Amino acid sequence: MTLKVIESAVLVPCWSCSVAHNESTLFCPHCSKIQPPASGDYFTVFGLEPRLNIDLTALEREFHRLSRKLHPDRFARATNSEKEWSLADTALLNDAYRTLKDPLRRTEYLLKLHGAEIGEEFSGKDRPKHESGPSRAPADLLEEVFDLNMQLEEMRMARKAGESDPELEKSLLEAKRKFEGLVEDVDRDLRAQWQAWDEGDAAARDAAQKNMVALLDRRRYLSNLLRDVTETLGA
Amino acid sequence: MAYSDRVIDHYNNPRNVGTLDKSQQEVGTGLVGAPECGDVMRLQIRVNPETQVIEEAKFKTFGCGSAIASSSLATEWIKGRTVDDALAIKNTDIVKELSLPPVKIHCSVLAEDAIRAAIGDWKKKNGVAETPRDAVQTAG
Repeated sequence: MTLKVIESAVLVPCWSCSVAHNESTLFCPHCSKIQPPASGDYFTVFGLEPRLNIDLTALEREFHRLSRKLHPDRFARATNSEKEWSLADTALLNDAYRTLKDPLRRTEYLLKLHGAEIGEEFSGKDRPKHESGPSRAPADLLEEVFDLNMQLEEMRMARKAGESDPELEKSLLEAKRKFEGLVEDVDRDLRAQWQAWDEGDAAARDAAQKNMVALLDRRRYLSNLLRDVTETLGA
Repeated sequence: MAYSDRVIDHYNNPRNVGTLDKSQQEVGTGLVGAPECGDVMRLQIRVNPETQVIEEAKFKTFGCGSAIASSSLATEWIKGRTVDDALAIKNTDIVKELSLPPVKIHCSVLAEDAIRAAIGDWKKKNGVAETPRDAVQTAG
């Protein structure tokens, strides 16, 4: 669990004026001097509360403001350390912005900060063996997934033999659209959990987190499948 | 990570790949999947109604080498066994036989699930009572 990152911000003294500030702040709130990049969380970089529902306009505005402040021209006469920090801070700022502006990446990032295990590296092994519910196989989709795989195999074989099969291609395109729709459903379901996570009590937050981890599993599965379809159709 | 020789053998020469007609009374079909890695496995059996012996077993698996080897081995093992005997096969037996590394254990779990699902389907179709041993463990 890495909860502490968010629950209790790590305070560090400014190298220049010694006034303590949150370690992830890029500029000292007191003397405005640039600070070395810290390993704190991305939200603090923008002065945002760690939430799933965030003000994207404010995020973008802050991103541009900080980018300007970090511009190399502004550090032409600065010390070498400050020059180095401005480059490293720019990299951090870009990573933070890319992560937070994307709803999916933001969700994964925040849940991981809170100890959620998301991603291929947790592929099934830590999930209860026969757990039912959305975190296990999308049982509702097994049939279709299997059929889709059969069609993909057929398509690859046809391509290899240099044959074209318009009928098969059409049915794969239909399947692709259908699965794209399912991804959209997942994204909508994810958003529906945001508020419970942001504003709910511990139990509600816990439940929302579990639901989102399951939805992210499902989404990854669907995306992998869609990637296969796209690759096969485009080959 | 290198695959064991047995996995490679089953992967290169999978036994019993194919399809049985699922509409037939004596055919049981199990379809299972592990969404996290994208594996889907279909295992089918044809059971002799008199003796309850599995006379034919076919599989089709989309997945990694270990998943294919696990299902190939599963069909090989259940052929010629009675339904009850087939249910005694554990995923750990498959792990041992194929020397699967820990990260591939879920492939063997999937194969065990597939056997149970196929037998469960056959029992349901033929009105055979479920034993506690095969309490449905299909995914979902």
